Amino acid sequence: MDSRPSDEMLLLAVAECDMGAFRTLYERHAGWLAIRLARRCNDRDLVADAIQDTFVAVWQKPQGFRADGDIAAWLWGIAIRRLVSRLRTHSSVAAVFEHVEAAPAAEDQVLLSVEYGDIGQALARLSPEMRAVIQAVVLDGLSAREAAHLLDVPVSSVKTRLYRAKARLRAALAEGPS
Amino acid sequence: MTGWHLDEDIVRRYVERADSLTEGASVEQHLLSCEPCRARVNAAASVIELSVIDLAAVWDRTRNAVEVPRPSVFERLLRGAGLPAPEARLVAVASAFRGVWLTGVAAVLAFAALAAAMGHARGVWLFLSVAPVVPCLVVASSYDPWLDPALEPELVTPYPVLRLILLRTIAVLALALPAVLLFGLVVPGETAFAWLLPAVGFVALVLAASTWVSPLRSAIVVSCAWLTVVWLLATRSRSPEAVLQGRAQAGFLVLAAASFAIFLLRRRQLRQLRPWR
Amino acid sequence: MVTASISLRDVGRTFGVTRALAGVDLDLKPGVTGLLGPNGAGKTTLLRLLATALPPTQGQVSVLGLDPEVQAERTEIRRRLGYQPQEVGFPRGFTAFAFVDYIALLKEWTEPAARHAEVRRVLGLVGLSDLGAKRIRAMSGGQRRRVALAQALLGSPVVLILDEPTTGVDPEQRVILRTVLAEIARTSVVVLSTHQTEDVAALCERVVVLDGGRVRYDGPVTDLTGQAAGRVWLADEPDPEAVVSWRTGTGRYRNVGARVRDGVEHIEPSLEDAYLLLRGGSPEPETAGEVAS
Repeated sequence: MDSRPSDEMLLLAVAECDMGAFRTLYERHAGWLAIRLARRCNDRDLVADAIQDTFVAVWQKPQGFRADGDIAAWLWGIAIRRLVSRLRTHSSVAAVFEHVEAAPAAEDQVLLSVEYGDIGQALARLSPEMRAVIQAVVLDGLSAREAAHLLDVPVSSVKTRLYRAKARLRAALAEGPS
Repeated sequence: MTGWHLDEDIVRRYVERADSLTEGASVEQHLLSCEPCRARVNAAASVIELSVIDLAAVWDRTRNAVEVPRPSVFERLLRGAGLPAPEARLVAVASAFRGVWLTGVAAVLAFAALAAAMGHARGVWLFLSVAPVVPCLVVASSYDPWLDPALEPELVTPYPVLRLILLRTIAVLALALPAVLLFGLVVPGETAFAWLLPAVGFVALVLAASTWVSPLRSAIVVSCAWLTVVWLLATRSRSPEAVLQGRAQAGFLVLAAASFAIFLLRRRQLRQLRPWR
Repeated sequence: MVTASISLRDVGRTFGVTRALAGVDLDLKPGVTGLLGPNGAGKTTLLRLLATALPPTQGQVSVLGLDPEVQAERTEIRRRLGYQPQEVGFPRGFTAFAFVDYIALLKEWTEPAARHAEVRRVLGLVGLSDLGAKRIRAMSGGQRRRVALAQALLGSPVVLILDEPTTGVDPEQRVILRTVLAEIARTSVVVLSTHQTEDVAALCERVVVLDGGRVRYDGPVTDLTGQAAGRVWLADEPDPEAVVSWRTGTGRYRNVGARVRDGVEHIEPSLEDAYLLLRGGSPEPETAGEVAS
């Protein structure tokens, strides 16, 4: 029998101001959240601040979680928005980390098509700027304005790149697997 | 939840940021619903220096942010004005106690000021009956054992009791007096300020009386006595302004000075804040 | 020079016409002393006196070798004193941490980092580390008692005065409390009042029994328990010769009597038996050294 409390139970305890449950929640989630944030912003201090803001927000409003999804997804939503918020007030530019392109191994290609199908390969053919916009808007669920803050580009650029990226993806998918 | 999980290579590439966007997106999507893989990513990250943020330090800061009480705006203002930390906290805490009470006071005063503004002599009498006793009632409630819940542990700290009471008194007066003054401005004539000396006199009287009896009790007695006096004078159809001039004002000044002197002389009695049971 | 001791000489306290305490002589050293007595016996008044919250109306009090009547010495005493009153009301909206932090501030912990660490330490001692951020008004009665105890433990006081510290506290927490107090009592004078003779038996070396404002017994717990030796027996019926008897869980009757009796089923006396005996009537003297009022 699994005696470890679920994340939902921890949240309920946090609503009762239980610091121990709060700490456990932190230990379970702060790590992967920080890594994922650091892949959007290479300023470590900002990421640390965003993590702090995230968990303070969780403490203050644990009932903000609607029991209709994963807690992890909810936490990520808070975290990325806190990062954007910090970027807004922070004057220096935090560049989005550029991924080093590595050709996926054969097995992984199969896995990727399980997760994303042909889109995965189509995405790989986009330019870095367009990929960043897709990641921010489509994958991370940010609004155009939030994405603009995150990527430090004007809102109009975000919209243009998104439009072009989607057009290219549509074309690539229509083309079929290559 | 499928049976598919992240293997070591994928985790390493992800944490080292040596993957592609699509692979990363795939990992991230998976992590959202898979707890064991999240734990593996956490563990991998602590080993690899590159992506490490000092999570322990962030935890300390987060814990402090939610556990340590934030000074209120009022307290920060007082600190900025040069008041040392304990005094600022004392005053801020004293004021915090009084929120509900002061709202009630404000309501009463508003009513009285409105009545006075209507210009009828009765309205002015109404204001005069209420305004001078509000400060002493508020002061009494700031350190009466019945209303101040934390008094007993506060009493046996090294912090000087007299200073505690005086600070509290000043703190609540600083809130109550301007409120009364503000409402008093709608009252025509000198009545707007003539109530100040009686108010100060009553505060001093209550302070002195608290060395014998409970502050709240003495404040209530003083208030009732004053209301009686006002009622008697009003029914004698005297003009309100006449009552609060010259000799009466001098009388209140003497009352204030004498009471405060008695308070200071008998301040030793304050440390036994429950001589009444 | 501060010595860990409290002494009272012929101390009395009157409120108007009510005499709450009279003729109290006590000498307390490091260790735990329990204060037993019925309601109205003057326990809370005595504790307030020891905590410098109240001056006596007659007699002399000396705490830590200092005189509470002198203001400078009184402040010195209070720097080394912790007091848990019988009832603490807590200000609205305060969390446990905020309240203990506030008292710590009054106890001259001006440096924030050190103060916060000390607040966490005492909250940990009473088992509330995880509830520091919880509002006191939302806590159970037992948890509130623990907050009141935590503030008394600030600064590791040399004199610790506790008024009914175990009331409303559940059994697990009582055990923790006993451990904490036992540790402190190695170098500090701890005085606690309680209605539970089991707490006195488990925790205290000395016991002072108060009744009607006077000391009825002052000495080691074992000596008091010993006074009931041979005077406690079991029977199937309540014994008319007993001072007090009651039905136990097994259906038999536990009798406590003034005289040592033969031919009955004796059992080991507990402190409670001795206490009831003391209150209900004096045992015929078998041992010397009883303190009469």
